[in-house]
Amino acid sequence: MGIVARRSVIATTIAALLGSFTFGVAAQQPPPVRIGVLMPVKSLVGKQGHQGAVVAAEMINADGGILGGRRIELVVYDTNFQPAEGVGAAQRLLNQDKIKFIAGEISSTVALAVVQLAQANGALFMAAVPKHPDVTASGYDRVFRLNSTTAMDARDFDIVLTEKIKPSKVAVLAENSDFGRLTIANLRKLFGNKVVAAEAYDMTQNDFSTLVTKVKGSGADLVCIAGSNMEQYGNILRLMQELKLDAKRCVMPGILNSEGVRVAGNAAESAFSADIYVPSLDNPLNKRFVAAYQAKYKETPEKIEELGFESIWLLAKAMQKAGTADDPAKVAKVLHEDKWETPRGIVTFDKNGQAASGALINLVVKDGKLIPAP
Amino acid sequence: MEIVFQQVANGLSVGMGYALVALGLSLIFGVLHVINFAHGETFMIGGLVTLIVTSLLGVPYLLALPIAGIAGAILGLGINRLAVQPLLQRRDGSADVLLATFAVSILIHQAVVVLWGPAPARIDGLPGAIEIGPVVLTNQRLFVLAIGLAFLLALEWCLKRTRFGTELRAVAQSQFASRVVGIEVDRVNLRTFVIAAVIAAVGGGLLSPVILYSSLMGQVVIIKAFVVVVIGGMGSIVGAVVCGLLIGLLESMLGLVTSEGTATAVIYSLLLAVLLVRPYGLAGKKAR
Repeated sequence: MGIVARRSVIATTIAALLGSFTFGVAAQQPPPVRIGVLMPVKSLVGKQGHQGAVVAAEMINADGGILGGRRIELVVYDTNFQPAEGVGAAQRLLNQDKIKFIAGEISSTVALAVVQLAQANGALFMAAVPKHPDVTASGYDRVFRLNSTTAMDARDFDIVLTEKIKPSKVAVLAENSDFGRLTIANLRKLFGNKVVAAEAYDMTQNDFSTLVTKVKGSGADLVCIAGSNMEQYGNILRLMQELKLDAKRCVMPGILNSEGVRVAGNAAESAFSADIYVPSLDNPLNKRFVAAYQAKYKETPEKIEELGFESIWLLAKAMQKAGTADDPAKVAKVLHEDKWETPRGIVTFDKNGQAASGALINLVVKDGKLIPAP
Repeated sequence: MEIVFQQVANGLSVGMGYALVALGLSLIFGVLHVINFAHGETFMIGGLVTLIVTSLLGVPYLLALPIAGIAGAILGLGINRLAVQPLLQRRDGSADVLLATFAVSILIHQAVVVLWGPAPARIDGLPGAIEIGPVVLTNQRLFVLAIGLAFLLALEWCLKRTRFGTELRAVAQSQFASRVVGIEVDRVNLRTFVIAAVIAAVGGGLLSPVILYSSLMGQVVIIKAFVVVVIGGMGSIVGAVVCGLLIGLLESMLGLVTSEGTATAVIYSLLLAVLLVRPYGLAGKKAR
């Protein structure tokens, strides 16, 4: 299955939102700044990331664009989570569309492939969501990554687990992926022989009764779920409720979102997690972003949307500061040197291009809502 | 020990899920001698229709199932008319149908992703659960088991006791001979196809509260259903259900002593072994 190449290309053009301001002078408009966006747009997360990027472009255009009134125009291609399709899309951006700035993506494997292409073509790649450590391990100074890595998450979350939760027996249910296996290894290191069950499940699996029964039999008082598919962790939480498994439940950082909480229903109640962003953050840019997103899509943006937003927002702001939309080297230099205001707070980049924005925000599900933990 | 009983309950419930998809697949293969790749997507559409009518229109869950069945019937009719019947007459008809239904499955899946969106969703089925000692089985899972058995019994009765059943068995044996004795083979084919689609769609409605609705649910389940059909015997109704239950049980029991990955590997090894040693399946009859 999945062998059929889906080459559907989605090219979205963001119309200028300058309204009456530009009315009548359209003919003299300076050329737009085109930014390439790679996203698995047919998936839910891809759609969320893409919509965040669209809101960023619209907000910048509403502010009068960059570099003397140039609008931001997004050229969006579907990567379908497939490295081959991602490479094809990136090549189209680089060779056909002559675009030197690429943003977005969810999948680490796609991002790793795109990094190599960007390096070969001297382009700048602002990876939004990929989590694999190697994305920023190429040594290429024009690669950036906005999401935190699993190791960064663990640094903060480990303290919560060991000092606040203090479990006596731990069970881990992890998807069979780099992320899942890494999480099992991390927790084993952290809790040693307190880990009484560590089960990996396939990323297409849809019935978890065996796994949850085993976890119940293990007598764990803390169950950690490390799987990014919300239908899977939602299902696991539901089964834990069905089988009356009485343990604290955590979803590893960066995964739990309000859609997942909705899918799990009241089975998610009191489950906890942590993340780099929540929509309730109290700063002017976040409030503006959330309001603009809600106005356009009738939904509240979360981390994926925010990272999609950030990828375009930061590129545009850096282009403005560097005074160029054609020189990736200059823009990369500015990105490395400065501090950047984003909806999640001040973001800085280390020498490898990894973004940091302070400590994780602890989250808990209460009354069906994902809120910062007290 | 209680964990073993719980796993028996889990295994039977999972297995009936496989059986509900395998049943229609096997029926179509038995009568039309084609593999319907779009069967999994019919299952998914059943889940989607149940989701839409329960969550958006507020229809009670039990009433949503027949609606899902009707949607399945319409879809089955469409697939049969569009991608099966016109190709069956050809010399390599079966192979063409396989490819055509594969195309249809992708078409349906993509249409759902584009028109409805890729987001998974919860469907609240029957509330509550029964507890026998430490073993818990939700009412929804029990309901799946009951309806699955009801489908099996109804199909068996229909095959053995009705005129349509007789015609169907005749067509399954020989389309040529059936035509000779005046059976409208195309009509039997169409009805078989529609019945299979109804079972798949109702199955989707039954299982989506258990496994959650997702646009990928059809693709995931059809692989296991193929395994069930091959091991149980292509075209065997009872084989599909019994084998579905057995595979569910085997999987959950193996899952206790080894990892789920190993359990899955054992099931696929079994598939290979059956194909090598007993290609007509455990319950199937040797072709003469």
